[in-house]
Amino acid sequence: MEKVLAENGFIIDLSDAKNTTQLVFELSSIMEHPEVKGKNVRLKLGNLDLKQSQLLSIKALIESMDATLAFIDTKSEQTEASAVSLGIIVSEVTDEPAIVCSSDADIKEESVMVKTEPHSESEPEEGKTVEVHAEELTGPIETAHDVEDVYDEETTKELSEIIPSEHFEADFESLAANEGLIKPEETSKYILLDTGDVLPVDAEENSINTETLPTLYINQTLRSGQTVSYDGNILIIGDAHPGSEIVAGGDITVWGILGGIAHAGSQGNVTSKVRALKLNAIQLRIAGLYARRNDTLNVPYVQKTNEFTPEEAQIEDGKIVIYKKLRRD
Amino acid sequence: MAGRVIVITSGKGGVGKTTTSANIGTALAKAGYKVVLIDTDLGLRNLDLLLGLENRIVYTIVDVIEERCKLRQALVKDKKNPNLSLLAAAQTRDKSAVNAEQLKEICDTLKEENDFVLIDCPAGIEQGFQNAVAGATEAIVVTTPEMSAIRDADRIIGLLEAKEEIKSYKLLLNRVRPSLIKSNDMMSVDDVVEILSCPLIGIIPEDTGIITSTNKGEPIVNDEDALAGKAYRNVAQRILGEEVPFLDLDEPKGFMAKIKNAFAKLKAKV
Ligand SMILES: Nc1ncnc2c1ncn2[C@@H]1O[C@H](COP(=O)(O)OP(=O)(O)O)[C@@H](O)[C@H]1O
Ligand SMILES: [Mg+2]
Repeated sequence: MEKVLAENGFIIDLSDAKNTTQLVFELSSIMEHPEVKGKNVRLKLGNLDLKQSQLLSIKALIESMDATLAFIDTKSEQTEASAVSLGIIVSEVTDEPAIVCSSDADIKEESVMVKTEPHSESEPEEGKTVEVHAEELTGPIETAHDVEDVYDEETTKELSEIIPSEHFEADFESLAANEGLIKPEETSKYILLDTGDVLPVDAEENSINTETLPTLYINQTLRSGQTVSYDGNILIIGDAHPGSEIVAGGDITVWGILGGIAHAGSQGNVTSKVRALKLNAIQLRIAGLYARRNDTLNVPYVQKTNEFTPEEAQIEDGKIVIYKKLRRD
Repeated sequence: MAGRVIVITSGKGGVGKTTTSANIGTALAKAGYKVVLIDTDLGLRNLDLLLGLENRIVYTIVDVIEERCKLRQALVKDKKNPNLSLLAAAQTRDKSAVNAEQLKEICDTLKEENDFVLIDCPAGIEQGFQNAVAGATEAIVVTTPEMSAIRDADRIIGLLEAKEEIKSYKLLLNRVRPSLIKSNDMMSVDDVVEILSCPLIGIIPEDTGIITSTNKGEPIVNDEDALAGKAYRNVAQRILGEEVPFLDLDEPKGFMAKIKNAFAKLKAKV
């Protein structure tokens, strides 16, 4: 098996992921790494139970990056069964050090840790071995910066290089404690529209926990002119094209590209969030706040899946702020 | 003040109604007039994209009609020109969400405070067309030098003539390619005017710059150098009652010809 792996292998260790949401977001940020393209991925899933449909989505995500899900390491029987049914090779988890394989067909014992931060100092060099550990992906992917009007990747990069690297080592548990480190970069991407009273007249501001609300699953692409509205949370598995509209009493989650209008907390719930694998919404609305996408933001006509950067929008201090990182609090 | 209400229509889709509305509106606003553009293409709205205003739309014409907001709240100001504003169509509704009477009422209100109300009409001759035309007293019929577009324009002109409220209608010929006319592969301007027997208000050349301007959300009239931009500025001047000769669209061939042409243009400006 190592021989096969040696051809073009890439190990992704997500055995520390606590739930599928965490796993998916972790995975999608790792998959952004150009190194993954064209590789046979060996996924370490630890104890996590995955249904066949969930595993299928994960497989699709990996394939959308031009990689193949070749092997799975799991301790879960359910995940194993799912993998077998999908024709993915399952291997027992051993405690031996992982053998990490690189594109130059050399099997090496040592591994270089790669972070998914764009500013990572340890960019993998050609031919070096690469191993990605989930716990290292928990630091802020993008960091705070003071750019007011321009959403500028370059500037973000430069500023983030100044930030000491230990900040990126924070693990998931300590994230909440380190909250101050994850600064939003809202001012640049979305600009509040001064529209006055935009909520329906009967709506009242509230902070109902959105986790208690029912969720509507929609497994299709929303096209221009289509609207979905629901009192609870809405989960779209697919893209929401520009010209579409999603209106939810609670949270809106788009597992895909959000390009249209999204209104979370449409009845005044100020704790509601909007999150998407790619947050391009032409307008973001949360409770009574409306924000338009910055005119200077250059959204490509076609969004490459390898440019996905999951983001989450929420209200803070009377503004809509965007986090490049999902937070647990 | 009672402004002029002009509907931009065509019958056939894709001939340039929306492009024309955005450009004439922008040109008139630049000339210092107060202009409101109304997108009546419910469910297939585009005008906001051409103007780069999509991200600013909170309320649409349907919200106004269904009284979720005041008319004033639904007017989106242009990024550059405060004289220009847009009343957007609803993207998630269809033509049946409004009726002719309601549109006429909106036009009547808007013309009180504006010099021009320009209505971007949807394709077709059904409800959408009837709605768009209801509040107008003038019309610009857009067509291209193609038999099918001309046939549809003819149909539209017939319908407009039957409407008492429409006091005048003019023809705008779009996507003209002089080289094709020369090689007898395209109807000439005279041919089209002859077929439709309708006064001409503008000739707009085929211009790839229109595609880039659409994608950028920046009307081509803002581009001083573009021929189509100049042609649209001329249309605006003619709307204002000035006599402006039609552009010589002949593409200059060689380098020397281009320079000569540039000189000729300079002279024309002086
Ligand atoms: N003069 C022109 N030169 C090149 N392309 C044009 C021109 N006029 C319009 N177009 C293109 O034709 C298409 C249809 O134009 P549009 O204004 O949307 O038509 P309509 O509103 O009548 O459906 C658009 O893609 C536009 O960019
Ligand atoms: Mg149109």
